[in-house]
Amino acid sequence: MLLLGPLGFLTPWILIGLAALPVLWLILRAMPPTPKLVRFPGTRLLLGLRDPHPVARHTPWWLLLLRVLAIGALILGAAGPVWKPSPEGAGQGPLLIVMDAGWAAAPDWPQRQARVLRALSRAEAEGQPAAMLIADGRAEGALPFQPAGELAGPLRALRPAAWETRYPPDPEAALAAAPSGLSVLWLSDGLDHPDQAKWLAALTARGNVTVVPPEGPRRALELVPGDQPALRLRTTASGADAPDVLAIGVDPQGTPRELARLSPADPVAEDGVTTRLVPITLPSELRNRITRFEVEGNASAGAVVLADDSLRRRKVALIGDDRASEGQRLLSPLHYLRRALAPTTDLIEGGLGDVLLATPDVIVLADQPGLGEAPALRDWVEQGGLLIRFVGPRMAASERLSDEPLLPVRLRAGGRDVGGALAWGEPRGIEPFAPDGPFAGLEVPGDATVRAQLLAEPAPDLASRTIARLTDGTPLVTRASLGQGQLVLFHTTANAEWSNLAISGLFVEMLDRLVRSARVNRPAAPETDQAEQPFWTPELVLDGFGRVTEAEASAPVAAADFARGPAPGAPAGLYRGGERLKALNAGGPIRPANWHGARIERGTETPGLALRGWLIALAAALFALDALGSAWLARGRQRALA
Amino acid sequence: MLSAERLAAALVPGAHGQRRAGTGEDFWQYRPATTGDTARSIDWRRSARSDAQFVRDREAQVAQSAAIWISAAAGMDYAGSAERPTKRDRAELLALSLTMALLSGGERVALAGQPPRPGRLQADRIAETLVTRPTLDRDDDAPPVEALRPGQRVILFDDFLGDPQPVLDYLARASGLGVQGVLMQVLDPNEEAFPWRGAVLFRSASGAIGHDTRDAAGLRSAYLARLAERRETLSQAARTAGWHFGTHDTGAAPAQALLWLWSVLEG
Repeated sequence: MLLLGPLGFLTPWILIGLAALPVLWLILRAMPPTPKLVRFPGTRLLLGLRDPHPVARHTPWWLLLLRVLAIGALILGAAGPVWKPSPEGAGQGPLLIVMDAGWAAAPDWPQRQARVLRALSRAEAEGQPAAMLIADGRAEGALPFQPAGELAGPLRALRPAAWETRYPPDPEAALAAAPSGLSVLWLSDGLDHPDQAKWLAALTARGNVTVVPPEGPRRALELVPGDQPALRLRTTASGADAPDVLAIGVDPQGTPRELARLSPADPVAEDGVTTRLVPITLPSELRNRITRFEVEGNASAGAVVLADDSLRRRKVALIGDDRASEGQRLLSPLHYLRRALAPTTDLIEGGLGDVLLATPDVIVLADQPGLGEAPALRDWVEQGGLLIRFVGPRMAASERLSDEPLLPVRLRAGGRDVGGALAWGEPRGIEPFAPDGPFAGLEVPGDATVRAQLLAEPAPDLASRTIARLTDGTPLVTRASLGQGQLVLFHTTANAEWSNLAISGLFVEMLDRLVRSARVNRPAAPETDQAEQPFWTPELVLDGFGRVTEAEASAPVAAADFARGPAPGAPAGLYRGGERLKALNAGGPIRPANWHGARIERGTETPGLALRGWLIALAAALFALDALGSAWLARGRQRALA
Repeated sequence: MLSAERLAAALVPGAHGQRRAGTGEDFWQYRPATTGDTARSIDWRRSARSDAQFVRDREAQVAQSAAIWISAAAGMDYAGSAERPTKRDRAELLALSLTMALLSGGERVALAGQPPRPGRLQADRIAETLVTRPTLDRDDDAPPVEALRPGQRVILFDDFLGDPQPVLDYLARASGLGVQGVLMQVLDPNEEAFPWRGAVLFRSASGAIGHDTRDAAGLRSAYLARLAERRETLSQAARTAGWHFGTHDTGAAPAQALLWLWSVLEG
């Protein structure tokens, strides 16, 4: 590089071309002027005349100057001038590259790689050894220092991880093999992470640290659980405009596409992070199709939220005798079901024929004998519907109870009164739930008792179909599968007539568990054991860019690890545990990093101000002026033509 | 048409008799009868006052007609600047004014090749023909030789910048038939002064003829010499044929040219 004061030239030999400018001046001067075209009737008189002394009119000096200036600017521009070029990095000494490799580094990953490659090639040219700390939580042991050229290959193959950037917990151990006088290049993802301050202190003590901040703001998307699910978009940008959130799912034709575009609400700025809530205001049909949300134009696992069961609102149809007058509302079984299900589901009520048209996920029949004979209902269950039935006085009085279809077990006619006024026994409590059933983990309140129930006919598979029982061992809830669907029967009423279960919190939780286990537009899979599992098996896994990769050879994740969020070994993705599908999303709270005692590299600082583009633009502008001037000179000719 | 009328009104429409005895309606003179005069030609009333017999002569009124021809060559549509009329416009103006003056003098006027008629209406007819006549896309337009009739007076309007040979032939033929007339050369000031400088591509009006020069100013003297030579040729030929040759500059007032034309035709 040739340096002339504050101006440097990348390819100085092109400047020799400037010597040709005077020659050009002469050549341009000698150029003949454009002749005027004149219509002249007396032309015949001119025929055969010879010019007495032909005079070449000079190109006007200003046009000449314009052209020479334009060509001069072109030559200067081609020579690659740089205003105040700064020598790259002040580091002398072994190079240590700290590469933040979490999801936040994904959006500008190629630029980061290019920056590191530049540093590596420079270290290689200087013969300095180099080491690379890939902060994805998988680095172990002391960092090996090796010739810088050997790091380029691994660097090119490196991909950001689908979890947060993690540094090894002990910087001293990792830097055991590090020589002194380190020159550290820290490719930051702009966010604060655990152990970051510790590492910065350790590295500043060993050498000078140059931090390369990320290009552009970081964004994280998070699902806010609740009855009305919403998304929370956090960004380090302070600007007023935020990108939209795209809801992507499968359309009715089976093609994955953008189903909706959600715009964020008003921003709330706090500690350098702007938080916006993105309400998911979509009809439940559309919402059930959504497979993922992502921030538009942000390729990062942290900007993707995968939809799981918690997002999908079930459509539950209630069918029962609701003819009770206002004074008897508390006696209606539908009242309790409605109160229990309304906050978490979309309720449909009406006759059987009506609700089937709405393709509900769950149908609840409260004390409706005889309805099970409808073939449409049977078809619906066999195609994957969940039918929950409650018994009651009308079923108990039914004469054809023993051959009532669509029941998980055969019921014995007559029923049983265990705690009534005319019975000897006490009302029965509910036995704690089996740890492998769908109600596993629910706490049974001691005061929940059942006074009357309908008993099942003894059968060999009765025990395996019972998922909740009373303290005397008689079934309270039984379940059986039919086709791809399930039949669930509560052996007591949905109101407080036979049991106070309906007015306990347990009722809500049990219904919630059952409704969540209903299939929602999922392809049919063979029914497996529906026990609650301590492991979550990945179904699909995201890479650091937020793209879906198949979860090949991914080991199941222990529930305890799963609860701690995405980590090495548990990348962000969709995980299945038994019947439940749960998403592990990378995005979460973010905090901008701060760097004390480190030099922060500015984007414009390293290469200096390149003037090439400006000079070439100037040359183009001068040529345009030249064209205008020439046109102005030739206007006489135009007038003659006209 | 209006400016032509205004111009024509400036001319004094004087008696246009032949100032000699001949067949006519107006009295010319009494002369003594000579042998050969028939008895019917003797004016008895005059003769009764004296002894001799007198014959009443009438002024000769020859059936004279004027033919006007204006070149339709493309070059006639030239005007050196926007303020000046084209040569053709000027030529038509002159022609119309002259037509009106002649008509009011009792002459019969027509465009060359058409039957001459007297009367005010004929001026309208001629004007209409001139207006609707298309311009040729050639540089040359020769006056029609076959339209020459004995006893005609012919007025030719042209810039005479084209090939001179047809005009010379026409003059020779006209003098053979005893036809007299006027050549009126209408030129633009640009054609008379040749004001160009520098590199100029000259094209004739139709574009058929071209001359490229790098120094137009240097050609000026040569051009003017050729123009003068052309005029000399034409006026020489006109004199030989008993014609008159005049020039008119579109930069000058038309009345001047019209007066000259009138005087030439009168004389």
